[in-house]
Amino acid sequence: MSHADTIPVRVVAVEQVTPQIKHFKLAAVDGSRLPAFSGGSHIIVVMNDVGRVHRNPYSLLGVPAQLETYEIAVRRMEQSRGGSHFMHDSVSVGTTLEIAHPVNLFGLSKIGRKHILIAGGVGITPILGQMEDLHQDGVPYEIHYSVRAPEHAAFLSRLQQRAADRLKLYYDSSGHAIDFDGLLSTQPLGTHFYVCGPAGMIEVVLAKARAWGWPESHIHWEQFSAPPAGEAFDVHLAKSRVDVHVVPDQSLLESIEAAGVEVPYLCRGGVCGFCRTDVLELDGELIHNDHYLSDEERASGRVIMPCVSRARCKKLVLDL
Amino acid sequence: MLVTGIKSKPVYTPLAPDLSGRYHLMVGHGVGSEPLLRVLRDLRTAAPESGARTRVLFIGNPDEQAASGAQFRSAGAADVRLFGREDELLTDFQDVLTNSVMGTRLYVAGPESFMGLVMRSARQFNLNKDEVRAEECGPSARRVYCIHCQTATENVTTNIVQCKDCNRWLLVRDHYSSRLAAYMGVMVDAEAPGERPEVKEVFR
Amino acid sequence: MNVAFKPDETFRGDFTFRNTPEAIRRFPLPFPEDKYMYSVNIEAHRPGPLGSVVEFAIDVDEHYVAECRERALVLQEDPLRFQALPHMMSAQWDCLELIMESLARDYPQHFTLDRQGSQWAWTNRPLGIQQSFTFGDPATLPQQPLEYITRQVQGDWVVMDQREGDLWAEAGMVTTQADWSLNFDVGMSFKEWHGPVPLAHEMGVFDRALKYLLGLRLNEPVRRLNWTMTINPRLDTSPETYHRWGPDRATITPQNAGDKAHLRVELQGLWRLPRSNGIVFSVRGYLISMRELVTVPKWARRVHRVLRDLHPALVDYKGLTRYRDAVVEYLAPFDDGSPTSPGTAPE
Repeated sequence: MSHADTIPVRVVAVEQVTPQIKHFKLAAVDGSRLPAFSGGSHIIVVMNDVGRVHRNPYSLLGVPAQLETYEIAVRRMEQSRGGSHFMHDSVSVGTTLEIAHPVNLFGLSKIGRKHILIAGGVGITPILGQMEDLHQDGVPYEIHYSVRAPEHAAFLSRLQQRAADRLKLYYDSSGHAIDFDGLLSTQPLGTHFYVCGPAGMIEVVLAKARAWGWPESHIHWEQFSAPPAGEAFDVHLAKSRVDVHVVPDQSLLESIEAAGVEVPYLCRGGVCGFCRTDVLELDGELIHNDHYLSDEERASGRVIMPCVSRARCKKLVLDL
Repeated sequence: MLVTGIKSKPVYTPLAPDLSGRYHLMVGHGVGSEPLLRVLRDLRTAAPESGARTRVLFIGNPDEQAASGAQFRSAGAADVRLFGREDELLTDFQDVLTNSVMGTRLYVAGPESFMGLVMRSARQFNLNKDEVRAEECGPSARRVYCIHCQTATENVTTNIVQCKDCNRWLLVRDHYSSRLAAYMGVMVDAEAPGERPEVKEVFR
Repeated sequence: MNVAFKPDETFRGDFTFRNTPEAIRRFPLPFPEDKYMYSVNIEAHRPGPLGSVVEFAIDVDEHYVAECRERALVLQEDPLRFQALPHMMSAQWDCLELIMESLARDYPQHFTLDRQGSQWAWTNRPLGIQQSFTFGDPATLPQQPLEYITRQVQGDWVVMDQREGDLWAEAGMVTTQADWSLNFDVGMSFKEWHGPVPLAHEMGVFDRALKYLLGLRLNEPVRRLNWTMTINPRLDTSPETYHRWGPDRATITPQNAGDKAHLRVELQGLWRLPRSNGIVFSVRGYLISMRELVTVPKWARRVHRVLRDLHPALVDYKGLTRYRDAVVEYLAPFDDGSPTSPGTAPE
């Protein structure tokens, strides 16, 4: 992706919707209509922080047919590398940001006969976009939304208005948990399952889905997680002839970008495979944090996903 | 245009149980009973508790119905349904699919033309390649779709065939459509009318 | 570029189609060197040189009105050239928007699009069409959205759904094809519908192409060129009508090859679609007779060499078997063996 392809936007509204989640509305600086998008899409928001650039993906939660503004929601992460803190603390009405065109790695199956949408916490954001698409198509669906306590449930009024009795809420504080076994064991053929939430919830769903015999092609998941931190290390980019120092709380991808070298990417979360980079030399070990490479590829030491993976090494040379 | 060795021809593999599935639905025709029996037995060995979740729909020789039924049951099938005709089986199959749940795996065995119809129904329920396995056995006669008049001619065993509707002589290609459950037939002598290859039995 | 349309050109019967000298010079020659083999050969579909076929996202040329008339004739005889599986409606609207926006932006002298929320008003002056409709409501258009708009644009359009790590051709308007059937192929996955193409599978061309396309991004379309030959300037060379155009292949001699043998180049564009997250694949055919081609000396030498040395499997697959030698014989006198410069510019 080239940085020339971003769209300058201005924040036109900010609202604290739960104790930890802020809701932002963005409009194009030049007043033009924003690009249309599909439910489940996200945008990369480019934030110019002090001495550092953050590029974080946020799901578009608004109605796809409404293109005057984009709506995103950001949870303030306790251990943040700066992006969510920046959004919460440094962004207000009038702030300008850059955004990339929408990308969808969490779209609905168009031939699905029924859709079960599961949201944990701020994971409700892409589910909202998907709900709008389903509303248009008139296909059967359910939304199961789990949060810690009632005050942490965001966007309830629009969920209730659209989904009505297709929506079920679960509050940890009431000891009320989603019955995944019940859901997974009783769905007609052609049902698709979508889950967005904390890593633990996703792991549970994937394991149970497998146990109930669901094929992977019917389970869709999206996880918002920051690239894991790690020790600092150095890397040499062979083609660009650039040396890059990767600090603990910046990902390898971010460090390479900060050095002025572009790497193709889509999700920045270790899932899509687009930043796949060949390792030319390695004296040490790679720390693979992605969900994309096979075990063989990981063991080979010849390839790495820089958006989330790191290294502990004396020498690392990448084909960039 | 008249190229052979086309990669869109379906590839079938010997059936084996898919242990990642929970319900096992088997549909067979004629000598397709062999692979299905094998899957049932292998399933019983690998996952004995799965027997309660297996079902067979089968068309065989009418004289051998009772024997077939007994064979499937003794191999471990919980529910066995026998049919005399393809359309009866396909109708029941639709009902079964309507009432099936996610976690189902479909195993199909028999002549390709029969399997094509079964898999076309399965697709309507969004059963995809992860959930369907097919082994071709029995006659490999083809259903041929005339691209010129959109008519299907059944039971084609020859390299060229006359379309039953428009009478054009068609080359039977290897390009296959799952939606139509048929191979493409295209006029063989368009460029040199009357010049046709010798008719040969090739799909037995 | 303000071209005069030639509305009465025909692509059947008396075949009155001809290229003006301007059309010849902007012809998209697909051979940057003197030999040809498959490659993925995809590049960004960004605005190209002024006056070229890639100056704009969608090209409208002197044959526009005539080609729209020809499409209407094909559809009248065979409505199955337009297909759209039920789940593709959102993608149909995406395509309508793409085509209308492109045409209105790049050819304002011919097309106007006025959007007020979901109330759109479309004007197509060359075809004398004015249509108000509600974007998203099929009942407000005379045909389904994809059919409606592709009747007003040149080239074939195939719309794909992306799911299960694959692309599925599930809607399209295909009336100018080089010998493949949308009616037969609709519903197929990427490798299935490319099944009949020889050699490319072994070369891994389709694995790489599919992987690339799965990551295709909004606002970053790509393009490539493909080619074959056609006898007579016939756009509809479908399997369905093979009985009409097949016999022409056996009628070529070195004497008539100049007028009857045509190089047929497909400019293919691929766009990610916003609301459906699908991909639309445009296949725009350009025709040039050998007689017109040889007015550009470099092209005469180049095409002679490419055809003479073409891999036999490609000769067969591209349907050139019966007449390739006659065409090569026609072109031979124009090839004095002198070098050709790399690239496709006329020189």
